[in-house]
Amino acid sequence: MKKLALLATSAAVLATFSYAKEINVGVVMAMSGPLAAYGQTTNEGIEFANSLQPKLKNGDTIKLILVDNKGDKVETANATTRLISSDKVVGILGALTSTNTSQVMAIAEKKSIPVIAPVATNDKLTENKNFASRVCFTDSFQGEVVANYAFKDLNLKTAVVVVDQAQVYSLGLAKAFKESFTKNGGKIVKEIKVSSGDKDFKAVVSQIKAANPDFLFLPMYHPEVSMIARQAKQIGLSKPMFSTDGVANQTFIDLGGDAVEGHMFTDFFDYGAPPTEKSKEFIAAYAKKTGKQEVNSFVALGADAYNVMVDAMNRCENPEDSICINNAIKSTVNFEGVSGVINLDKTGNSTRSAVIKVVTNGKAVYKSTVNP
Amino acid sequence: MFMQQMVNGFSLGSMYALIAIGYTMVYGVLRLINFAHGDIMMVGGFLGFFGMEVLGLPFVAAVLLAIVGAALLGMASDRVAYRPLREAPKISLLITAIGVSFFLENAFNVFFGGVPRAFPVPAYLEVMVEFFGLMMPMSAVIVPIMTAFLLSVILWILFKTKYGMAIRALAFDVGTVNLMGIDANRVITLVFGMGSALAAVGGIFWAVNYPSVEPMMGVLVGLKAFAAAVVGGIGSVGGAVLGGLIIGFTEVVVIAFFPELGGYKDAFAFIFLILILLFKPTGILGIDFEKSRF
Amino acid sequence: MQAMINKHFLIKVGMILGTVWFIWFANGHFDEYTVRILNNIAIFVILAVSYNLINGVTGQFSLEPNGFVAIGAYVTALLLISPDAKSYQYAIADPYPFVMTLQSNFVVALLLSGLLAMLLALVLSFPVFRVRGDYLAIVTLGFGFIIKILAINHPEVTNGSLGLNDIPEFSNLYWTGGLAIVAVVVILNIVNSKFGRAMKAVRDDEDAAIAMGVNTFKAKTLAFCTSAFFEGVGGGLLAALLTSISPDLFDFFFTFQLLIIIVLGGLGSTTGAIIGTVLVMGGSEWMRFLDEPMNLFGYETTAMPGMRMVVFSLVLIFIMLFAREGVMGKRELTDLFKSRKKGGK
Repeated sequence: MKKLALLATSAAVLATFSYAKEINVGVVMAMSGPLAAYGQTTNEGIEFANSLQPKLKNGDTIKLILVDNKGDKVETANATTRLISSDKVVGILGALTSTNTSQVMAIAEKKSIPVIAPVATNDKLTENKNFASRVCFTDSFQGEVVANYAFKDLNLKTAVVVVDQAQVYSLGLAKAFKESFTKNGGKIVKEIKVSSGDKDFKAVVSQIKAANPDFLFLPMYHPEVSMIARQAKQIGLSKPMFSTDGVANQTFIDLGGDAVEGHMFTDFFDYGAPPTEKSKEFIAAYAKKTGKQEVNSFVALGADAYNVMVDAMNRCENPEDSICINNAIKSTVNFEGVSGVINLDKTGNSTRSAVIKVVTNGKAVYKSTVNP
Repeated sequence: MFMQQMVNGFSLGSMYALIAIGYTMVYGVLRLINFAHGDIMMVGGFLGFFGMEVLGLPFVAAVLLAIVGAALLGMASDRVAYRPLREAPKISLLITAIGVSFFLENAFNVFFGGVPRAFPVPAYLEVMVEFFGLMMPMSAVIVPIMTAFLLSVILWILFKTKYGMAIRALAFDVGTVNLMGIDANRVITLVFGMGSALAAVGGIFWAVNYPSVEPMMGVLVGLKAFAAAVVGGIGSVGGAVLGGLIIGFTEVVVIAFFPELGGYKDAFAFIFLILILLFKPTGILGIDFEKSRF
Repeated sequence: MQAMINKHFLIKVGMILGTVWFIWFANGHFDEYTVRILNNIAIFVILAVSYNLINGVTGQFSLEPNGFVAIGAYVTALLLISPDAKSYQYAIADPYPFVMTLQSNFVVALLLSGLLAMLLALVLSFPVFRVRGDYLAIVTLGFGFIIKILAINHPEVTNGSLGLNDIPEFSNLYWTGGLAIVAVVVILNIVNSKFGRAMKAVRDDEDAAIAMGVNTFKAKTLAFCTSAFFEGVGGGLLAALLTSISPDLFDFFFTFQLLIIIVLGGLGSTTGAIIGTVLVMGGSEWMRFLDEPMNLFGYETTAMPGMRMVVFSLVLIFIMLFAREGVMGKRELTDLFKSRKKGGK
């Protein structure tokens, strides 16, 4: 009898062992260094999504292993190799920027480990890669959205583009915008190059004023855009301005003050207009935990990178089979994510909606949704 | 249009000049490129920010706080990191200066975050004024005026006071100065205080013009200001001002008239520096500190 | 006397053979993560010993490595990436036709990387060594900036800020470790030669060196060009290890890390630079705990990302203030055997 009981217990123990495995998923993120503010936000989304859904369908637990890359390529390579060879991760989420993400993807590709990029938008990123995917849209899509919206909905025909040539992000967006805007029949009257870190845009805004366009397209990050807006206001330049998700944060509005009133920008999602059931739940849970409703886009995308990975693992018989997970990721159809409905295809790029927001009374206010 | 750019260049150049004076003075007495000088400017900007946002001080009081705070920090950095190395090879001094610079940047990054913070500019500095037919914000007028004022104060100290005489003497020969019964270390500390105070003013102006502060704001400005000091003639206060203005003007004018060169803006200061070293190593107004070797 | 020289020779050969054996062993027995860290260490040994030649041995404070490493990395990358991979990765502007035709094997690529870096160093040495003083530091710092700005501004060659991808992964421990041995041997031979003595004379007292008839300009330029050559080669190895490079990799932090390495190892000591590399490259992985929440005597601190960098800069200042010699001072590893032998007598 005693023996039998022992046998039963050990069988039960064995059973739980074989059922509740722990599966490692790697996260490579810039938690320190110059990109830390964005990396920490994105990681917050990944970790929060993990706390909401820590288990797979079959009861296995997902263990996130976070490695800081300081925003540096050498450290990114070290981190990725460590995750794959020592931690035996089945998939990787990250990294932040397109240059670091391409480093992760270059190494993971050789080991057949799927990578989902939460926020890296450069078009070239997933090209010629079999194991690379992303949940955000690409630069060319975002550039197109602005071009179409400005030309068709706002009836603006001429534009000045200011591009930050130190940022891949900015260059990609500017290129896509120019192509799409000229195709629509619009005219780019001037293109001005600046570099991130610049503060003095007095010469730039004087030139824009002289060119007298219908509107300004400023596909850059918030420090530069807010400076340009302020200095434009100082010389009395009051044309509509359009930016992209690089300014989708409160710091932009704080820095810009009055000068960014009426500034429009594209974003991935708006917490005030949750696109899916899942986003409602997520926002509610987030508000409960942090006391604030304002779910940043990077938080939402971080969460979706995790959610898409989990969804793909759930669709695999063996959730540790990286090849199967990768195929499952790339056949994600109509997935209801936090940031919207996500479809992925063989290229690893996602088809998803974008929203347009406008700064009103010191807050970013939802204006409309653009579907692909 | 042209005049507008001239004013912009003058305003930017004045800020470089304020920072370059600190470099040139420290170099004059210690032959040290104080790599941390740009970061002291950053600290000045942050102190102004904290003074207004946290302590609720009015702008002028916050500026005074920044000046005093930065001067103390400059003197402390000399006391802690540079004075123990007076007799050491110069390379040690340069390395600690890099260390102090990196420490300030990273400490501010860790404790106050790397995201730029909006600098609360008082409204009276943002009003537009008409000045010889040009519209410009008040700050663009005040910056050059303040620079001229501070420059005359510095020149007065250097040439009309006992301390100034000691500083000038120190620039020639430290050993002899000590023999004359002057405490060279005290004079050097004074120089650090004066240079840092000017850097703080530069930092506040910077923060007012581009209304934000962030931990890395002093890096590039500092390097360019040093290049300006060399171009003007290291060791000469007037040269620092001249060099600052030259580099400020070049940056503005080149982007205004050759926009396709905009991407190279940050390189101008260094290209000037290399050219000056090739053709007139002492700089435009420079004193020949070390005889050129061939 | 003859016996002593032979003994030293044997010790050196022994060290080299030991390293070769270790490389062979590591390649077969260690996991990929460890091998990658060892690869990093080997590349940084090349960079550190060559940086030490100009900074430590010759005493000229220079901040150039990031610029020359960038040049090496880009040259190697452009020569190694297949035309096919080049045809699809240029995102910002179409590449110049000559970019598409650049092609060579790994050895030629590394050699050209080194030579180009060296040539630039030679050009730079005319303005900076014409004057005495510390202009070298600021010019080389500016030079690094300019290289980065050029890389960003010429997308037809460098693919701008996106950088170059799909570089064939040629670097492995045999290459990185082998070249590290070559670099160390070459640099030690220079240090112990007539030129090395001239370099040290410049460091210790430039006026005295001139009085003794040493051509100080030649000594400085030789040191500068040699470091540039190996930094270029190291950059090439790094590009072929990472398989992807971009301008942001080569910012000032890269140089700062090398500076810590040579100061910690002992300015002027080549073997010290090797020890410094192992300490810093290993230590920075180990010091990750500083960024995480800590339990200090029962008091829970919050996570402080970036704390590592603060500690690094303090370490640098403290070494300079209180332990200027670093681990090795100006001695070499082989000197330790020498002094022990003397002590035995």
